[in-house]
Amino acid sequence: MAARVIFKADSFKSVENGFQFDWKCQYYRGICLSIVRDIKVNIDGEDIPREDISLSIHGEDFTLNEMETVIDADFRWEFGEWATLKVKKEGGLAKGPHHIVAVQNIAPSYMPFPWVVTCETDFEI
Amino acid sequence: MSYDIKRSVSLYSYQDEYYDGVLDLEGCLRETAKTGATGVELLAEQMIKRFPESIDDKFCENWFETLKKYNLEPSCYDAFLEFVLYKNRRLSLSEQIKMMKRDIDIASRLGFPVLRTLVSTPMDVIEGSLDFAAEKNVKIGVEVHAPFSLNSSWADGYMDIIRRTGTKHFGFIPDTGIFCKNLPDVVRDKARRMGATEEGLKIVDDAYANRREKGFVKIKYDLDLGKANMEYRMANGMAEMMDAVKALGDNPGNMWYAGNSFTYSWSDPQDLIDNIDYIYHTHSKFYNVHEDYVETAVAIPEVVEAFKKAGYKGYLSSEYEGGEHLRDIGVDSIEQVRRHQEAMRRAIED
Repeated sequence: MAARVIFKADSFKSVENGFQFDWKCQYYRGICLSIVRDIKVNIDGEDIPREDISLSIHGEDFTLNEMETVIDADFRWEFGEWATLKVKKEGGLAKGPHHIVAVQNIAPSYMPFPWVVTCETDFEI
Repeated sequence: MSYDIKRSVSLYSYQDEYYDGVLDLEGCLRETAKTGATGVELLAEQMIKRFPESIDDKFCENWFETLKKYNLEPSCYDAFLEFVLYKNRRLSLSEQIKMMKRDIDIASRLGFPVLRTLVSTPMDVIEGSLDFAAEKNVKIGVEVHAPFSLNSSWADGYMDIIRRTGTKHFGFIPDTGIFCKNLPDVVRDKARRMGATEEGLKIVDDAYANRREKGFVKIKYDLDLGKANMEYRMANGMAEMMDAVKALGDNPGNMWYAGNSFTYSWSDPQDLIDNIDYIYHTHSKFYNVHEDYVETAVAIPEVVEAFKKAGYKGYLSSEYEGGEHLRDIGVDSIEQVRRHQEAMRRAIED
């Protein structure tokens, strides 16, 4: 919907049994993590299980289930601010080109429908 | 009747530059001042980090110093009542009123005379906050955003609160997206870049012109906004229009344009005159102002004329929303706001 540039191009990294990258929230204000209803990741055609996804904000990692109760001002996903998405994946990512499709599903209380945005990009490890 | 129409900029307008790190909060204020506007409208949750805890005395002191530096005054504080804060429940009435009071207090401490609340705010939350609003001398305005309208059964419910309580601290904030003569050109051009056909665009443009001609069937009050919205769309011929567009084949550009067309509406500017006693602020929504200072969709001259006739004493606050349709080719909110302020200046002063 909003079509902002959300991925930080040079942030994609393979780590031990996983990978991570920095991205921004598509929505137009800072939010409590509790209104992030879902994040979906598909890497090179493979869907990542929900429990293998977490978001790191200001030094704390939260799984999607944990985010449901995070309302502290210190851990808002501020508008225009990078947060690190961490994905568990055995063996990490191989060197070379990859393609990611990610969905942010955010539910501002006043909106009749949640704010669901799909973004994709190519990147190199 | 004498009027005093002042110009403001909603910092919402600069969201693309803020998002990209080109402007920070002070940068947005600096740009606002450059346009000749004297007022500033703020979405605290957009540009103040660690909301609401960070808004302490020191923050407020700094805020007023910065406003003084740029010769600006606060016009309107845009609140977001996050009443579905948790996935498993809506906040209770008293929790929502507490949240509303928190925002009224912040608005007051930052010097804002008006607080914008959204159409989703339940009436009992507003009513439960009125005494506090009076104490803090902050007027609560419910935003009349497309597809809602003044002079409607939806607005009547709010008028009842005003009449019944006699409050001077609750009214309306019209958003000029309800005064669209036609669909914005930036939306049409984006649809073209998505592959829309001229035939498809024409079906949608004709349907909009038809709705405007016949008069929009108005949306009803319902806290289930999704339901109210869908009923409104169907009552205004969405299904027939979609069928006609689909008959042209599977075209994402056509489909996107058709769906997007229901986010704009037309109300008679006379509505502003009829409700002027309850209009405390105005979102001067716009989508694209050309080099010759003509907005392609919003009826700026007609809206300003109506406000003059009504004797409006308040702000018209630029709210740029064309940028989201230009992100694939580049957004220049700073220039758009400059042009929009000049278009309003001409309409007000000429």
